[in-house]
Amino acid sequence: MAPKSRLSDHAASRPPCTLSTTILISETAQLTGSHPISIGEHTVLHPRCRLNSTLGPITIGDYCILNERVNIAAPDREGCKIENYVMVEMNAVVEARSVGEGTFIEVGAKLGGKCIVGKNCKFSPLTTVGEEEIVEDDTVIYGYGERRKDMSANKETRKKLVERQIEGLRALIKSDRAKFLT
Amino acid sequence: MPPKQVKGEYIETDTGNKVSRKSNILGSQNIILGGKTIIQADCTIRGDLRRSGAPGQHGNVAIAVGRYCFFARSSVLRPPGKVSRGAFSFYPMKLGDHVFIGEGAVVEAAMVGSFVHIGAGAVIGKFAIIKDCVRIEEGTVVAPNTVIPPFSRVAGRPGVVVEELPETAQDSLELKGIYRMI
Repeated sequence: MAPKSRLSDHAASRPPCTLSTTILISETAQLTGSHPISIGEHTVLHPRCRLNSTLGPITIGDYCILNERVNIAAPDREGCKIENYVMVEMNAVVEARSVGEGTFIEVGAKLGGKCIVGKNCKFSPLTTVGEEEIVEDDTVIYGYGERRKDMSANKETRKKLVERQIEGLRALIKSDRAKFLT
Repeated sequence: MPPKQVKGEYIETDTGNKVSRKSNILGSQNIILGGKTIIQADCTIRGDLRRSGAPGQHGNVAIAVGRYCFFARSSVLRPPGKVSRGAFSFYPMKLGDHVFIGEGAVVEAAMVGSFVHIGAGAVIGKFAIIKDCVRIEEGTVVAPNTVIPPFSRVAGRPGVVVEELPETAQDSLELKGIYRMI
């Protein structure tokens, strides 16, 4: 008998998924675990982005962008909830309980287990948030862990930019939604 | 210096590029390698993120790389993107000769000159321009749109020039030696 390929093993542990019909999901994205994963409208999952629901359910809102090598894992049974317009850049690790609307998580940032992140936050590259920490709305974490409040009032513009970016990505990334639904 | 690899790990092209079988290259038709470039395992290159619209004068090149470059394990190269005139588009990324990219580094620069060393875990922001003979230390975060002058050593978050390099820096930044070892 031919050896089992890694791909078929992956298929065996496929979690129950609720995927909106308008999402853009690369065929090399990885959804693993046993708890349900649901993804909202117009969300983009780049190739090799990993969602792991072994410990709890994962809910992702509308108009999110999850880049390659992003790792999203539910911290426990209560799961991980990511609201609308959240942008997660490369190499980021998200194990938060919840991430508020319009938050930007940049390259290599780490959100530790069960932390709660408010709306319109920004985590600049390689910053970390500790376990069970609560980050208020509009917080910017930058440099070596410095924090400040974002006083600018450009939240709506930021949302529009995310929408434009998703439109642009539509022409470039081949979506294979059906692969994750069987 | 990396140890000598087991035979068969790399695929060698006609121009002497050595590309690991375990590397992760998307949209290879949009990537130009100048020759004698080494791409190690788990390295991600996003050639699929090309400029939107009709192919221009130079076709649809997303990433152009010079000679004697070295991309270490788990590094990521990705063309920068932005919204311009109401539409989101990616812009081509150019790398010169003798560019070293360390383990786990993420590069979204618009242009990187020749004889540039990017340390492990560094993050180069979108549309950054790095001139010739530059050494970027490990774990540096270069902010988006930064221009780094020639002969500088950059460190910190955000990355700033901490020292000028001597005129002899080019010799120490040459990568012919590494190419011969692999």
